[in-house]
Amino acid sequence: MNQPSENPIIWDTQMRNCAGRLDRGAAFAHGREVSTDDITKLLEAVIEPGDRVCIEGNNQKQADFLSRSLLKTDPSRVRDLHLLQSVLALPEHLDIIERGQVSRIDFSFSGQQAGRLAALVEQGRITIGAIHTYLELFSRYFIDLTPKVALIAAQAADREGNLYTGPNTEDTPAIVEATAFKNGIVIAQVNEVVDKLPRVDIPADWVSYFVKAPTPHYIEPLFTRDPSHITEIQILMAMIAIKGLYAEYGITRLNHGIGFDTAAIELLLPTYAAELGLKGKICTHWALNPHPTLIPAIEAGFVQSVHSFGSEVGMERYISARPDIFFVGRDGTMRSNRAFSQAAGHYACDLFIGSTLQIDMEGNSSTATKGRIAGFGGAPNMGSDARGRRHASPAWLRAGREALRNGTMPRGRKLVAQIVETNREQMQPAFVERLDAWDLAESAGMELPPVMIYGDDITHIITEEGISNLLLCESAEEREQAIRGVAGYTAAGMARDRRMVENLRDRGIVRYPEDLGISKRHATRDLLAARNIKELVHASGGLYTPPRQFRNW
Amino acid sequence: MKNVKPASFFESSARVRVAKLVDAGSFKEFCPPQLRRTSPHLARLNAPVAFDDGVAVGSATLAGHKILIAAQEGKFNGGAVGEVHGAKLAGLLDRGVRELPRAVLLLIDSGGVRLHEANAGLIAISEVMRAVLRCQEAGVPVLALVGGACGAFGGMGIVTRLCNEIIMSEEGRLGLSGPEVIETVQGVEEFDSRDRPLVWRVTGGKVRRALGEATYLVDDDICSFRSVTAELLCRYQTKPLAPVDIDEISAEHARLTERTKRFATARDGREIFQASGFVDLDEVSLLPVAKFNQQLLESL
Repeated sequence: MNQPSENPIIWDTQMRNCAGRLDRGAAFAHGREVSTDDITKLLEAVIEPGDRVCIEGNNQKQADFLSRSLLKTDPSRVRDLHLLQSVLALPEHLDIIERGQVSRIDFSFSGQQAGRLAALVEQGRITIGAIHTYLELFSRYFIDLTPKVALIAAQAADREGNLYTGPNTEDTPAIVEATAFKNGIVIAQVNEVVDKLPRVDIPADWVSYFVKAPTPHYIEPLFTRDPSHITEIQILMAMIAIKGLYAEYGITRLNHGIGFDTAAIELLLPTYAAELGLKGKICTHWALNPHPTLIPAIEAGFVQSVHSFGSEVGMERYISARPDIFFVGRDGTMRSNRAFSQAAGHYACDLFIGSTLQIDMEGNSSTATKGRIAGFGGAPNMGSDARGRRHASPAWLRAGREALRNGTMPRGRKLVAQIVETNREQMQPAFVERLDAWDLAESAGMELPPVMIYGDDITHIITEEGISNLLLCESAEEREQAIRGVAGYTAAGMARDRRMVENLRDRGIVRYPEDLGISKRHATRDLLAARNIKELVHASGGLYTPPRQFRNW
Repeated sequence: MKNVKPASFFESSARVRVAKLVDAGSFKEFCPPQLRRTSPHLARLNAPVAFDDGVAVGSATLAGHKILIAAQEGKFNGGAVGEVHGAKLAGLLDRGVRELPRAVLLLIDSGGVRLHEANAGLIAISEVMRAVLRCQEAGVPVLALVGGACGAFGGMGIVTRLCNEIIMSEEGRLGLSGPEVIETVQGVEEFDSRDRPLVWRVTGGKVRRALGEATYLVDDDICSFRSVTAELLCRYQTKPLAPVDIDEISAEHARLTERTKRFATARDGREIFQASGFVDLDEVSLLPVAKFNQQLLESL
């Protein structure tokens, strides 16, 4: 029994493999530093066929130089890759698939590349492992989708390879932790190499190589909404949200989806909400990117804390000057963290509110349209009841009381609201009998229709017609009528049972502006705390520096 | 409701601008939309028409002063001047010659001639120009208020410069050829019309004020436009517009010659601001209007 076996099990194959890669890579590096011209050769040396490769890129920061460099590698050497991506954002991400170097992909969101991706899937040129939410994908990095090679982006490196990610830390810690501690190779593109970093976000020990990119990594100003585009309908919906939902439940901890509807809410806090005496009673703690439209509420003292998934272009100086509000390092710049903020949004927030493209009569909502595989991002992490939550808060308890149907065990409930205009652009109805997601699932061979937020997670629907509280509905039939009751002049809304909707209205399940004491006449743009980007700049005391495409002065 | 911002001139429609600028309820419209004086040229092209052809004209009082007033609607064809539109403007100015109000106010929000109407539009603009001069000859000052999304360009840019006073907001723009026109004709290297800060540095209210073309720079709210206008009307009450004499013209020519020299090398608004005594050039665009005016005054 104690005698050595003839074929002893080797327990460090991965470590040896990693060492082999580093040996091969050494020819193209000086310590950890790789010169810009050698990066393609280095990639060819350290990547093996069949590798799981994570290219850092989400809806904001992109390891764009490394993506382009990957495209220059020899397809006979760098092939059969399994790409892991938060977001397929850049054309390069799809180009590498088209070059035949990728056989499989797991991701969470594809945004602008959604159409091209759908075409590649249809042609059988790529297999999609699964489409995830951010948290699911990050989680799988630590279970069964651990990257072998991670190509990441940082603001700066020092000579040893310590990294400073700056305000846009985003996904980097999650990716690097999973890769570095499972014998993977971490390659960072940096905007600059300096002698002394402002702070160390990723220790050099976890980094295999770094390379100075010829141009700074791209960051999309995704969370900037110009208030000049906010309509009076959106202002009315924001008033309904504030009075009929935020005030009602006393929501202090929340996350806002991105869009003009939620931007309107943010801009109504210092005006309309303040007038209702809600300062300090709602919207004090946030899981939110640094939305420029939140500036007036912060300046008015509404906001106590904001933790962010990523940063936002132009907000850096403002954030640094408001360290009581944002998570700011001792160096004075923000540190964001997508994984933590997603977890915070799921477990520590009482409300998620966001917009969508389609809602069906069960309350399922989806942004999927045929011919586009867009994925999920983070909305389902926020927009779902946190079944594992155990700590109580007044808003959570009240929602739980309203939801209680059977049994006696008290339990809380997360508030998940959808805020939509009944008709979108080109009079496309937001309320439909059947989601386009069904057609997409069929054409792309998906196992499930891609639903962003499931009907049983949704608690409130807000439209310009009013607000429905689905928690209070006693039956599926009542739920359906509560949805139709705020669906306005869409076919689904016109098909309502008027008597039932009136009954729901009597019981406070469906409420229209007049039921809430909201005068539609007051829903004007003059109610916005800032009506344009310039007023946001002034509200920030000149600290906010908007990207030039958002300026008109 | 409290906490409501003053109405933005930039965002308001032509009629809201008029209603909030003049004494409440005093506006009486000539050729109102009910008469449906629409453009025959647009109709022939099957293009949408407006019942007022994109301009409201009428009489009103402002701080008690009798005025005539016109407001172009930028949301209809970019405030472009067609035959009917132009006739309403010229007619209003001619009425000024007859009725001698304290002033004629032109709320300009226009890209210039309405291209659909070709020569008819060009002739209309030239008639408006002559009518402005006739008004002034009769001792009636013509004031331009520029703060809409379309600015004052093309022929309406010229009309604006003929006015006795130009009151602009920072958002307002004034020029001859618009940014897109320059880019199309001269190329993007000459002028990138999508570089919005550049567009405003070259045509916006602040640079026009620094150049001395705009005589007042005000905040983008109708109240601010009103108070400066009211001030000017009082001034014209005590000191009516005198006929122009040769000395005045010579002085103006000398001033323009001096300006040409002063800004001879300027290629960008930044250099204009620099030559106007501003130190922190990155901050100019963010300076609140009151501070900008103060700094400009101090440097003169």
